[in-house]
Amino acid sequence: MSPAWAVALVGVLLMVSVYLVAVMETIFGLRVSGVRGYGRAWALPMSRAALLLSQRRSVTERPDAQAWALAPALLGGLGAVALTAIPLAAGVEVADVDAGIVLFGAALVQVMVAVFLHGWAANSLFPVLGAFRMAALALSVSIPFSLVVITTALPAESLSVGLIISSQESLWNVVRQPLGLPIYLITGLGFSFWAPLQLPDARDLSGGTSAEVSGAALLVWRVARASILVAVAAMGAAAFLGGYLGPWLPGWLWMAVKTFGLLAILVWSGHRIARPRMETAVKLGWTVLLPLALVDVFVSGALTL
Amino acid sequence: MSGIVDFLFWVFAVAAVVTGWLVFRTDSMVRAAYWLMASFVAVGAILVTLDAQFLGLILILMMAGEMTIMAIFMVMYMMNPAGLNPMTMVHQHRTAAVAGAGAFVALALVGLLADFPDRPAPSGTDPTVDLGVELLGESMLVFESAGVALLAVMIGAIALVSKRGRYGDADEGSEEPILEKTE
Amino acid sequence: MSLDALLVVAAALFGAGVYGALSQQSFVMIMMGLELMLNATILAVVAFWWGSTGGNPEGQLLAIVVMAVMAIEAAIGFALVTNVYRVRKADITEKLRRLRG
Repeated sequence: MSPAWAVALVGVLLMVSVYLVAVMETIFGLRVSGVRGYGRAWALPMSRAALLLSQRRSVTERPDAQAWALAPALLGGLGAVALTAIPLAAGVEVADVDAGIVLFGAALVQVMVAVFLHGWAANSLFPVLGAFRMAALALSVSIPFSLVVITTALPAESLSVGLIISSQESLWNVVRQPLGLPIYLITGLGFSFWAPLQLPDARDLSGGTSAEVSGAALLVWRVARASILVAVAAMGAAAFLGGYLGPWLPGWLWMAVKTFGLLAILVWSGHRIARPRMETAVKLGWTVLLPLALVDVFVSGALTL
Repeated sequence: MSGIVDFLFWVFAVAAVVTGWLVFRTDSMVRAAYWLMASFVAVGAILVTLDAQFLGLILILMMAGEMTIMAIFMVMYMMNPAGLNPMTMVHQHRTAAVAGAGAFVALALVGLLADFPDRPAPSGTDPTVDLGVELLGESMLVFESAGVALLAVMIGAIALVSKRGRYGDADEGSEEPILEKTE
Repeated sequence: MSLDALLVVAAALFGAGVYGALSQQSFVMIMMGLELMLNATILAVVAFWWGSTGGNPEGQLLAIVVMAVMAIEAAIGFALVTNVYRVRKADITEKLRRLRG
């Protein structure tokens, strides 16, 4: 794929999926509050975005202005880079990287840097607390995350995402590695700091890293955060649910159905599961998810042999 | 194609050196840590242009966490916790500058003057596969030793720093009561 | 892109690392200097692997070993910094004139 097409394709895909994530978020939000009639759900995200665009930007005392401006752009860019590693249909690969799954992992781990900078640069109390939370959260979920992602490469005997998908022709990885997908989704929520693991931007910190951000900057930050969630869901569909493989329907449609199915689960859990305390989240990562991820690696390795 | 790769190589090379230099020229602790990360990312990108795709990407993957930890440690332990204020914390500046320049000149001369064999990697092989086979085949011992060393280090580091909280686990009242008079 | 150019870039990174490790007062900044030197080492090792060994996989293996060294250096370094801070309340090298406990 030529670079110009790749940039255009990834950009359009991200825009559309982020909008759909916002719609889902609204629908689930209306559901939990018992409001009937979801007709407004399609327009509400747009009017919220318009409101943010018309707001004034707040400024803090002596922020690290360059880093503050860089952070949302970096976050969105990382979402786009992570998405390039994933084949969208048979033969439609934005970037055909041999070690695609490592590229995806590298992009996601850098999310921690973007969020840390975002919180730090505001030069204000709550954002910097949010930044420290992100470091603790991301470090405790990153190892189980990497382990379950790399385990999907075992049956394929390759780090290329395309080969990982085609290795699931007979059996999806979600069946072959039953521990993989749940751990992947929980840790993926942590990386995209999405509810219920929205600890770095949580309400108990008045918005955490984005406490001092308003207006267009806040809109960009939210869009970038959703783009990470989209990339996580797309990779979940590719690595565990067989990506574009499926009968009757064309490949890209299968990929879209699986991705948005996972996105629906992720967004739904944000409205149904309470946000844990920081200590609980860190403990969950190190003492529950990490051992389970190791079991996943060993069992899958033994089965592959 | 190779023109683009050459151009990218020079971009990343200049970026790696400049950001590596900025690590010690900035006043902000977090900036210092992330300039260093930028230097690592640039070197990772150079490795990718050299066909060592796996090594380059894994370097980038490793560094995000490590540099964030560095930033936090600096904030934790430095005397200027605000971190955005101007500061210079250097000693023996001239000696260090001379030593740095000397190391650069000496190593660059070795690199330029020594006669290294010119045997470029053959194209058409997959270096990632080669590396995997080597790691878990011929050089299993090296891999295992690295693993055991890392395990020993993990245990040692935990032994050095771990402490229990007031009520049991570290997260239960980890703030220890001040029993001694602080200076 | 040639082996010479790669080695000069690695030498520049190493020089910056030496300067940093010698000139900085803060322990963590010194560690950054060390890391920069290891960064240069990785670049040089992979450069040799690429240009001078005919794609011998052991060259890449050496880079992995250097990365392991980097992780070990960071883990032990941070543990020591933490311990020194707890025991001596020291955060810069000047406060550690005596090595005796």
